[in-house]
Amino acid sequence: MKDTYILGIESSCDETSCSIVKNGREEIATVISSQINIHKNYGGVVPEIASREHVKNITIVIEECLEQANMKIDLVDAIAITYGPGLIGSLLIGLEAAKTLSFIYNKPLVPVHHIAGHIYANSLEKEMKFPLLALVVSGGHTELVLMKDHYKFEKLGGTLDDAIGEAYDKVARVIGLEYPGGPKIDALAREGNPTYKLPIPLNDDSYNFSFSGLKSAVINLNHKLEQRGEKINKSDLAASFQTVAISSIINKTKKAIINYNIKNLIVAGGVAANKGLRNEINNLGKELNIDITIPKMKYCTDNATMIAAAGYYAYKIGRVADLDLNSKSSDNLH
Amino acid sequence: MTTLYIDTSSSYLYTGIVKDSKLLTEVQEELGHNLSEIALPKIVEMFDKTGLKATDINKIIVVNGPGSFTGIRVGLTIAKVFAWSLNIPITTITSLEAMAVSINNDKLLVPIIDARHDYVYAAIYDNDITILKPSYIKLESLYNKLNKDYLFITNDLINLKGEKCEYNPDILKIVNKYVDKKDINPHMVNPEYLKLTAAEENKLNGS
Repeated sequence: MKDTYILGIESSCDETSCSIVKNGREEIATVISSQINIHKNYGGVVPEIASREHVKNITIVIEECLEQANMKIDLVDAIAITYGPGLIGSLLIGLEAAKTLSFIYNKPLVPVHHIAGHIYANSLEKEMKFPLLALVVSGGHTELVLMKDHYKFEKLGGTLDDAIGEAYDKVARVIGLEYPGGPKIDALAREGNPTYKLPIPLNDDSYNFSFSGLKSAVINLNHKLEQRGEKINKSDLAASFQTVAISSIINKTKKAIINYNIKNLIVAGGVAANKGLRNEINNLGKELNIDITIPKMKYCTDNATMIAAAGYYAYKIGRVADLDLNSKSSDNLH
Repeated sequence: MTTLYIDTSSSYLYTGIVKDSKLLTEVQEELGHNLSEIALPKIVEMFDKTGLKATDINKIIVVNGPGSFTGIRVGLTIAKVFAWSLNIPITTITSLEAMAVSINNDKLLVPIIDARHDYVYAAIYDNDITILKPSYIKLESLYNKLNKDYLFITNDLINLKGEKCEYNPDILKIVNKYVDKKDINPHMVNPEYLKLTAAEENKLNGS
């Protein structure tokens, strides 16, 4: 069979990225221009600054990717683009670039949902086996998605309030860690013990999550200890928060695996880089004897490799957009 | 010489193709919030209408601001990707230059765009001489710089003292005037916002 090459572009938040992937499985080249050093001066991503950086970087990133791949755009089969969800001004830069390339080179334009991208980051590791359960954990998402085949997404449940990554970042800010605080909590937690008592979030029969109560409990506890003039053990507080947050995720994931006869559990999204979560997921895989796939660290954060990988499977089922494709700040995974 | 002109710096799409000093086709349409969706399809329509291919273009002139931040980026991204991928010369002009070129008048020409909170983006031209380069300026301060008869050019609803006229771009005239302007490396083609982001301003002001 002829090989299929997809050029992917991603600009949904603060990373401008371009990648070429072969047959949805093999990375040929990827370039990522991260703006994290700019946004950390503001304690978080500033949308207008992000858009301004994307427009500066877009052609440079695409050119470097083609140079690394030693390919010309004429040789790719289709152009995959993150159309949403994300920051609208950021999304638009990648979208206009992808549409223009699609016109000039007469290549099909394949719209990719950002979360489908995170899910398909796993196809770069191992061939997916169905029925599959995707645990999507990021700054904007905490979801359990059932897949009976490629591109058949069925949401079992999701967060009712804060996303897991959002809760991590807020807790980090309260205990005085610099943005982005999530990875720093993960590192601190490894040095401490879960000595602080925190409430278990949403322990019910659904596949939903809730992290805002847990986040508030940490904030209140921190405040109370400060008022009493007691010294806060940051590592222990981080460990306490992380233990409760992760066990909530693991409990619901385990229930879904058993109820749906899952063969393959995959983890998707930026929080898949969390070492505490990776450990627990691997333990769960051994316990239930199912295949576990977790993307390499470099595929956990936003990148175009995963967009090109997802784009391959979308292209194979005929998902092609016209040049009036627009960006969407929010959209259900489908 | 076949030139593609693109201006998406307002809620209007102004685009056209000029070949050897003849306007082959143009689009002047208010797109408002649909700008990002429709801008490229409208540009493609011009190619379909004229039978030209993307590879027939050998120069791009794009308006790089000031105006709507998002709007500027839509047209600019299309233009720089176009120029980069076809390896053709590209140059930028400001929206205010385009506005002034489109009007024939011996008065001081004052193209002006609403920047909100009593501020405007404006420039002052006396025939071919620039009295005030494109600036983000308080409207009151602008009047102090007008030392002879003047004419405002604007499509915005700004309360102005003095004569004003609407902006209807003369794309042929704009292209003819700027077609030989110095080319820029497509990677370096960037917006001229003339204004920092709110976050940057707050940081500078220490708040």
